[in-house]
Amino acid sequence: MEILAVRDLTFTYPQCSSPAVKNVSFELQRGELAVLCGATGSGKSTLLRLLKRELAPLGDKQGSVLFNGKELSELDSITSASAVGFVMQRTEQQIVTDKVWHELAFGLENLGTPPHEISRRIAEMASYFGIGSWYDRDVSELSGGQKQLLNLASVLVMQPEILILDEPTAQLDPIAAADFIATLKRLCCDFSITIIIAEHRLEDVVPICDKLLVMENGSLIAADEPRSVISELNSRPDILCGMPAASRLHAKLSGSGSCPLTVREGRSFIESSYRNTTRGLPQAARCSSDAAAMEFSSIYFRYSRDSKDILDGLSIKIYEREIFCILGGNGSGKTTALSVGAGLLKPYSGSIRVFGKKLKDYKNRSLYRECLAMLPQDVQTVFLRNTVREELDECGAVLSELPFDLSPLLDKHPYDLSGGQQQLTALAKVLAAKPKLLLLDEPTKGLDAAAKQGIISVIRSLKERGVTVAIVTHDVEFAAVCADRCAMFFGGRIVSDGVPNEFFSRNSFYTTAVSRMTRGHFDNAVTLSDAAELCRINGRKELPCS
Amino acid sequence: MKSFAEYNPIVITVWFFSVTGVAMFCNYPLLMLMSLCGAVIFFLMRNGLSHGREHLFFFILFLILALANPLVSHNGKTVLFVMNHNPVTLEAALYGVNSAAMIIGVLYWLRSFTQIMTSEKLLYITGALSPKLSLVLSMALRFVPLFSRQSAKINNAQIAMGLYKDDNIIDDIKGRSRVFSILITWALENGIITADSMEARGFGACRRTQLRRFRFSVRDTAFLILTLLLLAVTAAAAGTKSLSFVFYPSITAENPDLLGIAGLITYGLLIFLPVIIETEVSLRWKYLRSEI
Repeated sequence: MEILAVRDLTFTYPQCSSPAVKNVSFELQRGELAVLCGATGSGKSTLLRLLKRELAPLGDKQGSVLFNGKELSELDSITSASAVGFVMQRTEQQIVTDKVWHELAFGLENLGTPPHEISRRIAEMASYFGIGSWYDRDVSELSGGQKQLLNLASVLVMQPEILILDEPTAQLDPIAAADFIATLKRLCCDFSITIIIAEHRLEDVVPICDKLLVMENGSLIAADEPRSVISELNSRPDILCGMPAASRLHAKLSGSGSCPLTVREGRSFIESSYRNTTRGLPQAARCSSDAAAMEFSSIYFRYSRDSKDILDGLSIKIYEREIFCILGGNGSGKTTALSVGAGLLKPYSGSIRVFGKKLKDYKNRSLYRECLAMLPQDVQTVFLRNTVREELDECGAVLSELPFDLSPLLDKHPYDLSGGQQQLTALAKVLAAKPKLLLLDEPTKGLDAAAKQGIISVIRSLKERGVTVAIVTHDVEFAAVCADRCAMFFGGRIVSDGVPNEFFSRNSFYTTAVSRMTRGHFDNAVTLSDAAELCRINGRKELPCS
Repeated sequence: MKSFAEYNPIVITVWFFSVTGVAMFCNYPLLMLMSLCGAVIFFLMRNGLSHGREHLFFFILFLILALANPLVSHNGKTVLFVMNHNPVTLEAALYGVNSAAMIIGVLYWLRSFTQIMTSEKLLYITGALSPKLSLVLSMALRFVPLFSRQSAKINNAQIAMGLYKDDNIIDDIKGRSRVFSILITWALENGIITADSMEARGFGACRRTQLRRFRFSVRDTAFLILTLLLLAVTAAAAGTKSLSFVFYPSITAENPDLLGIAGLITYGLLIFLPVIIETEVSLRWKYLRSEI
């Protein structure tokens, strides 16, 4: 019997004319892993919250949600709290207490579990997740990935039968996100826990899921095995744009046969169906000025006297009117480098020049007037007012001068916007100071594929206007499409740099999915459009006559 | 085998309050001297010779407190000299030294106490009183640093966007008050998520239990009983006339009787219990290690 059955669920928020969730029906079997995807605002979160009684929003609800054949509202409060686990997007805010062990114990304490039973269960959980080494720590000392793992563990310790996750990896870097997804897969295989997860980073999660649910404007437009869903939605670029690179390439070339999902399948699809007589595309020569917008020369920085160097002889040159992406792992010091460049942190040795002038010669914060601006990673920190209109008025931003349209958002509270809208609003605030050099810290964090496309086009149009953009990012796919030049940051300095095509084809692990798929077959194909173009030029292999 | 700081927090708290309680509610000079010496030795034993500044601060405070009394209080028979038409007396001077010893001794004890009682132990103790109070404290302990970190982040973001106009004070204050107001919004916004997360994990579903990380071992019980016994004898001695010492109008001290002597000895033992434990532990460890 199915563990969860949703029948004709329709939900309308109070004072809304149209329902947020319309006639949704689907079923989940025990041990299934289902992925729920769809554009921001398509009703994913509302649907997921309706599946957990404690979090169900107020409003008009019709239809039923059956858990093990029982209506959700008929469960007793202890079963309802423990059997359905829910992990949310915001890693930091979900944590309730100040110590890791206490957080793990929190749910069980609520259920009135006897103390010796609590100790046993959290010991078990800490061992399974490898939390043992940070069991005694303060939660504030953990990294983002560890925090989300803690959130997952502190839900699992209550032994749920179904686990609901609402964009759990949105705040994580790609490595931590992939680890998290792998953990989910392991849970599914080892304990046959049923999992339903809303995501917009689908590269890792679609290949391992059993069921792909696609939502659009509140209705479920597809609910099936991922390959068939993708082939079915072949003609919908807006939905396809978040899917794994292999399946997008397959769709773009309108390939036949079953749709590839992983890099391995994508590779065998290309090698079996396309020739490689033309191995690479002609490279456009780089045209940018030789004047440096920002120059770091052997910068050394550490946070306190006795700690180790975070920046260890860092030297970079960022030329005027280019988009420069700095890539690197967590804790490699990328963000610190950006803060040093923006003059927020002082290096103890070395010098930084901005447009040929030393950073310390910019007196009285003149650096930030029409010269340099930085957008932090957490864009919420940019907002101070109650509406977007006030925000923009305060810093004197003119709507018509912006390369994007904010007018529909003017009367909303900045905290109520989606991640992509927040990013654009913050960008508008920053651009009001008319900077010539813009520093962006992880601008694509937590954004869906469509919003990412929006950011890319905005950054390009800024470049057209003569703005130099330096971006710190984890997002390899984004950098490959967006950057003029990329650099790899490791151990407090730059270890390699180059134009994206060369840079990513030289890297063999830290590179885009397309590059990994086409390596050896084509040269220098890094982005999806490169690969598709090459495939078209070469043409299909003649199939052996049968 | 555990050192003093690893004993059950309840036991440690009882011990600390016994030691400081006797020091605070009694003014017998010998007891004060024992308390002060014990406190300093205990602090040095835990920290070695670091914290030089704290020692200096306590020393200066001691001098100020000791000198303040004879300048303010003019009771007492034996006049040492006259200053600004006011007599400065020997009795008042000695009384000042005595109370300074008491205050500084207690301050040293409390300093060691805050070092030993980490937030986790405090939560354990409040949890024994009320599990809800303990949860509120734990959430506060998490929230306060979170709030200040967010405030720093917002300030930096505003600076890097060039939104603090100039370096004058009024603009700075204006900027900071706006930051504060959005911080409140941020805190409320986050509060909703935290509340959701609590509710999703069954908060309020039934009566809470509490995970106890500290157990009561035989040693804890023995230590607790010993502490209470020693405290009882000391308190009996200090509470009755057995240890009497009068400063005003002139210093009169009677020889302590049997109970008084017993009280002095028990207080000494009480103070040196941790030292005894540490020595025992380190000796035993040395012996055990020689066997490896």
